[in-house]
Amino acid sequence: MGLWEAFLNWLRSLFFKQEMELSLIGLQNAGKTSLVNVIATGGYSEDMIPTVGFNMRKVTKGNVTIKLWDLGGQPRFRSMWERYCRAVSSIVYVVDAADYDNLSVSRRELHDLLSKPSLNGIPLLVLGNKIDKKEALSKEDLTEQMELKSITDREVCCFMISCKNSTNIDTVIDWLVKHSKTKN
Amino acid sequence: MAQPLVKKDDDRDDEAEYSPFLGIEKGAVLQEARVFNDPQLDARRCSQVITKLLYLLNQGETFTKVEATEVFFAVTKLFQSRDIGLRRMVYLMIKELSPSADEVIIVTSSLMKDMNSKTDMYRANAIRVLCRITDGTLLTQIERYLKQAIVDKNPVVASAALVSGIHLLQTNPEIVKRWSNEVQEAVQSRAALVQFHALALLHQIRQNDRLAVSKLVTSLTRGTVRSPLAQCLLIRYTSQVIRESAGSTQAGDRPFYDYLEGCLRHKAEMVIFEAARAITELHGVTNRELTPAITVLQLFLSSSKPVLRFAAVRTLNKVAMTHPMAVTNCNIDMESLISDQNRSIATLAITTLLKTGNESSVDRLMKQITNFMSDIADEFKIVVVEAIRSLCLKFPLKYRALMNFLSNILREEGGFEYKKAIVDSIVILIRDIPEAKESGLLHLCEFIEDCEFTYLSTQILHFLGIEGPRTSDPSKYIRYIYNRVHLENATVRASAVSTLAKFGAMVDSLKPRVFILLRRCLFDSDDEVRDRATLYLNTLGGDGSVVETDQGVKDFLFGSLDVPLVNLETSLKTYEASEEPFDINFVPKEVKSQPLAEKKAQSKKPTGLGAPPSGPASTVDAYERLLSSIPEFSNFGKLFKSSAAVELTEAETEYAVNVVKHIFDRHVVFQYNCTNTIPEQLLENVIVAVDASEAEDFIEAGSKPLRSLPYDTPGQTFLAFEKPEGVPAVGKFSNTLRFIVKEVDPTTGEAEEDGVEDEYQLEDLEVVAADYILKEQVFNFRNAWENMGPDFERVDEYGLGQRESLNEAVTAVINLLGMQPCEGTEVIASNSRSHTCLLSGVYIGNVKVLVRLSFGIDSSKEVAMKLAVRSEDGTVSDAIHEIVASG
Repeated sequence: MGLWEAFLNWLRSLFFKQEMELSLIGLQNAGKTSLVNVIATGGYSEDMIPTVGFNMRKVTKGNVTIKLWDLGGQPRFRSMWERYCRAVSSIVYVVDAADYDNLSVSRRELHDLLSKPSLNGIPLLVLGNKIDKKEALSKEDLTEQMELKSITDREVCCFMISCKNSTNIDTVIDWLVKHSKTKN
Repeated sequence: MAQPLVKKDDDRDDEAEYSPFLGIEKGAVLQEARVFNDPQLDARRCSQVITKLLYLLNQGETFTKVEATEVFFAVTKLFQSRDIGLRRMVYLMIKELSPSADEVIIVTSSLMKDMNSKTDMYRANAIRVLCRITDGTLLTQIERYLKQAIVDKNPVVASAALVSGIHLLQTNPEIVKRWSNEVQEAVQSRAALVQFHALALLHQIRQNDRLAVSKLVTSLTRGTVRSPLAQCLLIRYTSQVIRESAGSTQAGDRPFYDYLEGCLRHKAEMVIFEAARAITELHGVTNRELTPAITVLQLFLSSSKPVLRFAAVRTLNKVAMTHPMAVTNCNIDMESLISDQNRSIATLAITTLLKTGNESSVDRLMKQITNFMSDIADEFKIVVVEAIRSLCLKFPLKYRALMNFLSNILREEGGFEYKKAIVDSIVILIRDIPEAKESGLLHLCEFIEDCEFTYLSTQILHFLGIEGPRTSDPSKYIRYIYNRVHLENATVRASAVSTLAKFGAMVDSLKPRVFILLRRCLFDSDDEVRDRATLYLNTLGGDGSVVETDQGVKDFLFGSLDVPLVNLETSLKTYEASEEPFDINFVPKEVKSQPLAEKKAQSKKPTGLGAPPSGPASTVDAYERLLSSIPEFSNFGKLFKSSAAVELTEAETEYAVNVVKHIFDRHVVFQYNCTNTIPEQLLENVIVAVDASEAEDFIEAGSKPLRSLPYDTPGQTFLAFEKPEGVPAVGKFSNTLRFIVKEVDPTTGEAEEDGVEDEYQLEDLEVVAADYILKEQVFNFRNAWENMGPDFERVDEYGLGQRESLNEAVTAVINLLGMQPCEGTEVIASNSRSHTCLLSGVYIGNVKVLVRLSFGIDSSKEVAMKLAVRSEDGTVSDAIHEIVASG
């Protein structure tokens, strides 16, 4: 990126500054905090400690400032997800696509959450993570398993990503940025 | 934390009371709290709203669970703001709300991030909040960071970690104890606050280990503790160490005294004061040790700072109780404090003067007190009343002026505690100064004519019932008592009826008139009043025949029940209505535990109306009833004396045992009070095995083992010895606790079937001559001495050898004889070379004994003593000499 372009970007960010807020949820060890790190810094680490509570991160992409609520996925935090999803631009639900055993739990938690009236109409982005593993499900299988087709009251989208290899991360960011605009 | 939002207007005094939050409402503020959810946060506005919420909480407003949860989660969203001021408020709010454990955990990750942030303010506060909300498992995760924080170079962070450690020690002691090394390093910190907090934590970690505390104090008193606050703490710990080592080092210099004395020259006033106070509170402090402390306190008395004057005069006030002579040097300074603007200082000054003053200054002081009584608050009035009471006991001849003063203030306005203090004082004076009885009773009678406190009225009526009939003219009280039946509420009316009945029972000449009055009470509107009147009329023979009331009836009506009320209550509760009537004989007479009775015996403070006629007698009473309820000991006759409890075990051992020596004419009974402090054990067949080979005059005469001793429920086992009648036999007994121990499952509380025999070594117990002498207060020693006459006077002289001081010699002789010092003669003027001490007591066999001791000390600290004994029996006088000669 040339100096001139950087300057233009800065100018643009001054005049067309946009903000969006989204919450990142999903079962423990789905890769939520890793995703935040990949989006924010591009770095990836195998060693992660479970998030106790939530992490708040602000990320600037172009002229959009994204506020990320990265919530812990352990059972004791799940009842509190709803509080951090109210009034966000979109909900990002991360699923470990290679962990078959927990898929049904993940599906139940997602549908429970979406049934809350306070979250009506908020767009949902489902991310199947860890497609670097060979046993990972395909997008079609995941859509099927998560019963995403049954959600009709809001916009739903599904991507398959890998935080480890940074696969499809750009698509995710583009989708998010686009939705910040539509929201406003 | 600083409060940036409230503007300070120091120059405008009239607005000092104005609060910017005056009149804010909870509902409105909760609405405002919605700004926390705005997408564009206004940090300043959010801070303001949090301030308002905190204000409401501090004003005692409570949030419902739903409200608190809503606010809490809204506040957690504020972690997105980078505004330092707002973050601070967020920390405060989380601490203040601290919702349920499963919700508050949501902020853990954010706090852990802040704890490792670059901003010191974040780190310090995050540590404080995190430790507040954390649990054991989480604590092990963050322990590493906390240890680092303790030795952090930023003092704010280090202090935060140390203070958190102090809090966590309550819940997770084993974790905090692992931080000792870091804490020790922090004690050496250059920052004053860190040093203070580190010392406090280090002491708390070690507080259960006496040796470690002693080592800590030894090393630090040599080194340099810079912070004045830490220095003050160190002084407190030092005096604790001195107190605990008091037993072991009797002779020679007191350890650490030099350190305390050195602190008197510290440049910080708070250290000077702390050291002075520590010295005055030393156990058995000598005049030489006391002098430097009194000197600095005297300087403080004329300080321009009110807090110093207050501190000094309050400390001197306490010293005056034990060492009145040492304080007399300050009298001039204190007299000028009577007119001090601060009434608290003035009150303390005047009460101190009352304690140190002599008989001639009483009248002058009383005049000054009367002038300012109306200016001070009730709690200080109580202090004055207590000082007057002790003054009156000291100078019985002045009772008229003092009693008048008390009755005057009794008529003025005042709260319950204050009135109770006055009434208690009058009661004590009546009891102890026979001359004051009639006028005191009349003052009380006048008081109940217009008394708004039911409790005081009933207590005074009860007291009148005991004392009134024994006065020269009982009839004059009847009017006051009967007025109560007309004018008061049911509770007071009922006790007035009982009092009337007592007069009727005790004074035969009044009987017909009392019966007339009682008959009128039969138509009272209250059940209890009617019932009492009926009962008294029937039992006292109010059916017309005027006969002398027999003793049995008196005992039935006015004697005390010979079963503990607690046991009676439980028995009555379990009693089911049936054909079989309730039998009071089946109520157990054994007292389960008697912490109350023992506490009463220890406190020397005179008890007033609340307690039965006299404090010590009631303990003896309780013991006597306890012992006579045990068949094995019931034929031992009248209990002569029960000693105070002697500990036979160290504190905090597996089994805690203390012993009370009960002396009878021909027997001695040891009552061992045992407590089992191990939850996993049940002890059975507990008995103390005694080796009496060093007590030749004693023959074992019986024992009563304790069937079972569960965890934390005190129980008693008894052992009786026979001894020659009337002889003060002495001896030494070695004790071993024997028992069968059974394991108890802590979860179910059930004991195993089989037990193991075990024993536990206890400390030795001695029966000494003092056990055979009862203390008895005599108010006019000279009168008593003259009345006793010189028939059985025995005089002799003794050399007591080299002593540390005259004071020490006098105390030793008083303790040896176990008699009551009279007229304050146990206190010795500083630097005096001679002293006369007056003692009074009752020797076994109920023989009154008076002792006059004259001491002299020479330049080489040799003490000589002249002992003059008068008693009603020559052999007893000889026996006293024998005790001194052999002791």
